[in-house]
Parts: sequence; C-alpha cells; structure tokens
Amino acid sequence: MLKRSVGYVLLLSVALLFSCKDKVGKDEDNTPFNKGDMLKNVSANIILPSLSQFDADISELKSSFITFKNDPTSANLEEVKMHWKSGYLTWQTLKIFDFGPIRNIGFKSATGTYPVDASKIQSNINAGTYNLASASNLDAIGLSALDYLLFNDQALSEFQTNAAYVVYTDEVIQKLSSETQTIVNGWSTYRGTFNESTGTSSTSAFSEFVNEFNRDYELAKTAKIGIPIGKANLGLTNPEYVEARYSGISFELLVESVKALKVTYNGSGGLGFDDYLVNLERTDLDDIINDKFDIIISKAEGFSMTLEQAINDPSMVNQLDELYLHLQQQVVNIKTDMTAAFGVLITYQDNDGD
Amino acid sequence: MKAGFFKQTAIAPLIMFRIIFGAMLLFSSLRFIMKGWVETQYIEPQFFFGYLGFEWVKPLQGNLMYIPFVIMAIAALFIMLGLFYRVSTFIFFVCFTYVELLDKSNYLNHYYFISLMSFLMMLVPAHRDFSIDAKLFPKIRTKETASWHIGILKFQLAVVYIFAGLAKLNADWFFEAQPLRTWLQAHHNLPLVGGLLQEEITAYFFSWFGCIYDLFIVFFLMYKRTRPFAYVAVIVFHIVTWLLFPIGVFPWVMIFSTTIFFGVKFHQQLLNGLKKLFKWTEKLPETIKSIPSPKPFVKYGIILFSAIQILVPMRFLAYPGDLFWNEEGFRFSWRVMLMHKEGHATFYVTDKASGRTIEINNTDYLTVRQEDQMMTQPDMILQFAKILKKEFDGKTFSNSEQSITLRDPAVHAEVFVSLNGRPSQLFIDKKHDLTELPYNLKHRNWIETFEK
Repeated sequence: MLKRSVGYVLLLSVALLFSCKDKVGKDEDNTPFNKGDMLKNVSANIILPSLSQFDADISELKSSFITFKNDPTSANLEEVKMHWKSGYLTWQTLKIFDFGPIRNIGFKSATGTYPVDASKIQSNINAGTYNLASASNLDAIGLSALDYLLFNDQALSEFQTNAAYVVYTDEVIQKLSSETQTIVNGWSTYRGTFNESTGTSSTSAFSEFVNEFNRDYELAKTAKIGIPIGKANLGLTNPEYVEARYSGISFELLVESVKALKVTYNGSGGLGFDDYLVNLERTDLDDIINDKFDIIISKAEGFSMTLEQAINDPSMVNQLDELYLHLQQQVVNIKTDMTAAFGVLITYQDNDGD
Repeated sequence: MKAGFFKQTAIAPLIMFRIIFGAMLLFSSLRFIMKGWVETQYIEPQFFFGYLGFEWVKPLQGNLMYIPFVIMAIAALFIMLGLFYRVSTFIFFVCFTYVELLDKSNYLNHYYFISLMSFLMMLVPAHRDFSIDAKLFPKIRTKETASWHIGILKFQLAVVYIFAGLAKLNADWFFEAQPLRTWLQAHHNLPLVGGLLQEEITAYFFSWFGCIYDLFIVFFLMYKRTRPFAYVAVIVFHIVTWLLFPIGVFPWVMIFSTTIFFGVKFHQQLLNGLKKLFKWTEKLPETIKSIPSPKPFVKYGIILFSAIQILVPMRFLAYPGDLFWNEEGFRFSWRVMLMHKEGHATFYVTDKASGRTIEINNTDYLTVRQEDQMMTQPDMILQFAKILKKEFDGKTFSNSEQSITLRDPAVHAEVFVSLNGRPSQLFIDKKHDLTELPYNLKHRNWIETFEK
C-alpha cells in the first residue's frame, strides 16, 4: 500500500508540473480583487449613502407630520404619505445590512416587520398605555404601522378627531427617528471595523455581509411574495399578509428591494460580489445572477395592479407563480454557488469544523 | 506482533499521556460550555438527527443537558489526576459518546477520535503511577506495563493520519487543489501572506504537502532519528491549519497526542520532573505482582478493534457512485477538511388528496447549523422528510374561504449542491416522495448522479 502511495505521489508530481504550466497564462487576465477594498466601497458608496438618505427621509416624514398635526388637512396628509413612501422605498436599500449597529438594536425588525396588526394598534390607541419597545408590539410599530395609520379608510377623520390616534402615530415616528439617529451614530464608529473585517470566520463583517445579503434576498422572496400567495399554506392565499397592504405599494417595494440587492451585488459600479466572482474565474455565474435579477425585476414590474388585487384575481395565479419561481431559482445562485465560490461559512453561529 | 504486544515496557509514556489527554479533555469540555454551545447545539434544536440504530438516544430536557457536560469536565479532571481512574474514564466515555450520538449534524472527526481514545483509555492502566489512585492504593504502583497499552494508542493515531492521507488521494485534491484553493484564497487580505495564499500554486503545495504529511508522519515519528524533525512538522502543520481554518481544538489535540510517539527516556524525564515538583515519594510495593499472562480475549479484543478501525473507513468501497457526492460511508473515516459542499434544499409537503403543496421554511424546524448540514447529506435529507411528515400529518390550513386538513402527506425535496467549487447540480429530484423511501445502509439510488 505504502509503496504504491509513494509511486502515486511521484507520478502526480510530474502531472502537477504540467497542469500548472497550462494555467499560468489564465491568471494574468484576472481582475485584481481584494475583500478589504470591496468592503470600503460597499460602506462608502452603498451603505452610508443609503443610511443618510433614510435619515433625510425620516426627518422629512417627521417634520411633515408636525405640519399635519397643526393643520390636519387632506393635502398635508398627502405630504406625510409621500415622505413615508420615499422612506419606505429607501428602507429597501438599507435593510440588507442587518449587522453591526442595525442588528445591535434590532432595527430591522423594529422598522420593517409586517404584516401589521391593525387590531393591536387600535387596542393600543384605545388603551392609551403601551410600550412600543416591547417585542409584542413589533407588528404595531415601524413603517408598516404607519402604512395602516396613514392609509386606512378612516385615517383622515381619525387624525382630525382622535387625539390618541395622533399621539400614537407621533410616537411611532419619534421612535423611528431616534433609532435612525442611533444607527447613524453607530455607523460612524463601526465603519472602520467593517472595512477591516475581511476574515473568514462566521463573525467577520465580510461573512456577515454575505450571509445577510442572502437572508434579505430570501426574506424578500418568502415574505413579500411567497407567504401572501399561499406557498406556506397549501396554496390557500393570504392577502392579509401582503406588505404595505393599505397603501398598496407592495410591488414597488419588491422591485426596489430586488434592485437594491442587485446594486449591492454589483458594488454599485465599484468592487462588489460580481468582481469577486470574476476574479475567481466564475464570470459564468456572475452573468447568471445578473440576468436573473433583471428577469425578476421585469416580471415584478409587469403587474399593473396591487399585489392584493393580483392575489384575489384567479387569472393572475400563473403570473404570480412565475415571478415566485424566478425568485426561488436565484436563491441557489447566490446562496449556494456564490457563497461556495467565496469560501464563506453559511452559518450565523460560531462553531468548530473539521 | 502478538508477542511484542504483550512485552513489558516502561509505563512512563502512558502516565504522561493520561495527564496530557485528561488536561485536554478538561479544557475542551469547559470551552464547550463557556462558548454556549450546549445551548445552541443541544437545547435550542427542536429536532435531532439521530444515527441509524441509535435513534433511541434522546437529549435531556432543557438545561438538564448541561449535566453530562459538567460530569465530563469533572471526569476529565479526575482522569488527569488519576483519581478513580477506571470509573472516571468509563463515565467520560459514556457521557461524551452519549452527547455525540444525539445529533449527527454535530459530527466531527475529532469528536469521534475523542470517543475512541477515551474508550481505549478506559482499558489501559494509565493510573498505576503518579496518580491519586496510586497514592491511595500503593499496591497498584508499577514501573512497567504491557506494550499494547501504549501501542494501541499509537495505532489509533496512525489510523487517523494514514486514512486522512489516503482520503486525500483523489482527483479534486491533487489536480484541482480543491477545496484548499477555495479556502485559501478567502484569506487574501491577511497581511504579508495574503497574496501568497491567493496563488494557485500555494493551494497545490498545501494539498500535496498535506497529503504526504498525513500519509507518512507516523512513520517519521516512530523512528528516533527522524522524530525531532517530524514533531516540528507536526507543530507547524497543525498550527497553520489552526490559523487558517475553523477547526477549534483539533490541531492542539493532535499536537499533544502525538507526544505518545516520543521515546521512553523523554517521558521518563518529564515524569521525574513532575514527580519532583509535586514531591512524589516513590514507594513501590514490596512484591510487584507479575503481570498475568494475557488472556486470549485481550488478544482477540485487540485484533477485533484493529480490524474494525481499518474496515470502517474502507466501507465506502462497497457503494457505487461518487463518495463525496453520495456520502455513503463518509463518516467515521477520517475524511478531514476534505471537501467544500454547499447546498440548498427546498422541501414540499403535499396533500395527496387535493394535490396542494406547502413550501417549507427549513429554519422553522431546524437550527441554521442543522439546516446547513442537512442540505448536503442524503441520509439527513431523508430524516428531515420523515420529521416533516410527522409534523404535518393532521394539520389544518385555512384562509378566509376554505380550510384543508392534511392527511398522510407526501414530502418531496428539490436539492441543489455545489461540490468543491463546481457550479451547483441537482442533488435530489423533486419527483421522489421521500416518505416512501427506506432509511437504511443500502445504496441510495434516488440521489442524482454526479457529473464532474
């Protein structure tokens, strides 16, 4: 056995010399890539601009609400709604980065939990005593709560006649605003840590970024489309699970979310996952992923109605299923193929391996 | 060989090994508890992936799971001190093996190694000098012991290394330098060495050197003249792997365990040093009971154990198809850091009557670690399907218009896997109702064929 092994090794040494020779030329064409530079690009050109945009949107939301509070006209409410909407769209670009300061205070779930529990909001308002920071109120705060508070049929008259309703809305906006400040401050110190953390352990910023990117994509697939169309419910539709049901902007949010993921994937023109794949000689995969993003975006843009209307229209079943199928297929590309190429551990807990 | 195995030899190496091994067990038991892994690996999961034939091994409720770990730490301390040695080694072996049998998603080769070593330690008299037992019962003291007591431990280490080396004799490892090429390039940001680790040639060098190291290190450790160089190689090799890969204490286990290959003189001096330090008084019993001639069952036991150790890692030869892809005969075979497998599995639970389907979110039932392990291992995929069937049988689903109760559901899975940097391929086709498939050791022909 041993003698044979020695022979085997010698034989292979010769083979190696030849196999290496072939590959020398190929390496020269490699685009230079460095994870540290990628993280710098992502924080400088994606995360921080998105965060400051969100910060601006929320403060405009806040000031427009003050205006509306003092003068509760329908026109002023439209102003609030408009700022809410641009904040919610910006949120799609920020929620990908659920690590560091955002994770530390549970900002993703506090801001973006849906479906909203309208009856819980109503009972909170009626009771007058509530703790918006408690976990049980996660589906009664954030952008989805505002979707209900600003857009339900009675909204304007409630604002005009029900002081408790105004106070509740005000507190939801205040909470959102002060937490956004915490994130902005947190990122000013975390940025350096993020840029430097290029390691391979599951707790490095690079691994967290890859994992959260995947997680956010899967969340978009499952929560924005899968659950409402009944994928987890024997195909029995659940329109009450639709995101932003009262304003009806769920398709816009989906499109924005997938676009944001695509931009992030491509490093917004700078170094991103795409360049890493090209560097690893996986241009094929990079093309597949970008093509799939484009297909998903165009399919999602192909609906001329709200998601809830589409769900309730039996003739739309196939179109929704098709959209979902494309969303589903991309998971394998990014979660399996891309992370396998990067050599990242898909795990959110530290452990030994062998 | 048989005669040699029962020859008398100095007991010092065995005593030193007991102390070193006990200290390592103590350290790793405490480390496991401190890292919070009892919680994440044995308390948090709702379901466990038992081993075939051992599904009756069940976890304790909630925080009671800490008990076996605390007992392990105490037993490890007792092993190190040589206190109630036979009982302590037995208890450690039982607790450790119990914990390992609970869930195969936690399987690691080095845990299997510790299980085997603690089993062997239970059988050898490593407490017959410089131990509390020897202090309390001076009668057991001895200067010599049967050479198989040490030989069997060396044999076990040799099995680990040589089979790990043989496992590396495959095309991916040799001609593609995979998975090391994937793993090493991920370190390209390390100062000084990062650029080098990104080079293809480095991956080839690591792959080839690693294979040669595993195949031959034991032989170089056995010969006195090569031993010092070999041990330097052991230290360098394992520290490099410790720095580059998430393999926890394993490198340290090997660095310390291989000291058993050192000569008697070395161990004798070390032991004498320790004895001096602890003011140990040598009081050999007046009449040293001559070791009784070995009973035949000992001989047969050794032969049987060795045969199992050699045959188990080779059982993969009985299966058709690609070993890395099908993973039939993969565990318990010292296939360490050998492949990079990523998978994605979507499970569908179907109501046979209406044909309606539910898509499963795996992490509603599994921890991330369990899901990650399950998605690339066919036996675990099958086990999960059976878990899902049980979970969903009789469940009612409804919306505002109708409600359907699932009876005797079918479970299908569509699984894609990427092996050693290749593009992902279909691993399990959605066409199979997994609940209809048998869970046994036979070849699983429902796994899609691997295309290189």
